[in-house]
Amino acid sequence: MKLRLTLSAIVAVAGAWVLYTFPPGAHSFYPPCVFHRVTGLLCPGCGTTRALHQLLHGHVAAAFKLNPFLFAVMLGGIYGSPNILRGQTPPLFMKPWFGWASLAVVVSWWILRNVM
Amino acid sequence: MNCPNCGTSNLDTASICVNCGRPLAGGAPPPPPPQTYTPPPPASRFETPAQPAVQQIPNYLWQSIVVTLCCCLPLGIVAIVFASQVNDKLRRGDIAGAMAASKNAKLFCLIALALGVVAMLVYALMFSGAIMQAIHEAQANS
Repeated sequence: MKLRLTLSAIVAVAGAWVLYTFPPGAHSFYPPCVFHRVTGLLCPGCGTTRALHQLLHGHVAAAFKLNPFLFAVMLGGIYGSPNILRGQTPPLFMKPWFGWASLAVVVSWWILRNVM
Repeated sequence: MNCPNCGTSNLDTASICVNCGRPLAGGAPPPPPPQTYTPPPPASRFETPAQPAVQQIPNYLWQSIVVTLCCCLPLGIVAIVFASQVNDKLRRGDIAGAMAASKNAKLFCLIALALGVVAMLVYALMFSGAIMQAIHEAQANS
C-alpha cells in the first residue's frame, strides 16, 4: 500500500517534470492519440497532454480551451481520491445515475468537439 | 412409521405411504417441511452473501473514464457502459449480473490500457530519434 503510493508519487513527479519541461506541441516524442492518427477525428481525451502542460505553467484558461472535459475528470478525481487511495470506490461512483451520466457526458463531448 | 390406513412400514421422512398413497400422520408432517424449508433459503441466500458482495463488486468506473481519457480508445466507452451496468444491477439486487458486468468492465479497461501502452511503446521505438533530439536540445539550452 505504502509502496504503491510512493511509486505513484515518483511517477507523477517525474511525469510532471517531463510535461513541464518539454511542451507537447514542440516535441514529438509524446505518444500520439491512436484514434486521432487512424481516423483524423478527435477523441474525448485529445488535448489532455497539452492541457496538463499549460496547467503546470499556471495557464488555466489555455488548458480549459484544450480540453474542458479534463477539468470534469479532475474534479471527480479530487472528490474520489480519498476513497480511491484506500482502494475503495467513492459512494457517488456507485450510483446508477452517475455511471450513465458520465457515459452521456463523454459521448456528447466526443460528438460535440468533432462537429463544432 | 406405520401407515394409519394399511399398516405398511414407511420411512420417518415420507409424507405419503409407499403402499396406499395416503398422507402419513394425518397431513400434519407435510406442512412443517415447507415452513422450515422455504423461509431459510431466501434469508441465507439473499441477505448474508449479498451484503458483503455489494461492497466487494468493483464497478471500475473511474478506471474506465481514465482509460478513455488517456488511451484514446473507444474501448474505454465500452468499459464505462459495463461499469454503469454494475451499478444498475447492484441496485436491482442482481448480484450475478453485477459480477459479470464488473468482469467485463475490468476486461475492457485492461484491453484499452494494454493497447494504449503498446501503441505508446511502438511509437517510442519508431521515434526514439525525436527523444534523443529533445535530450540534446535540453543539454544545449542548459
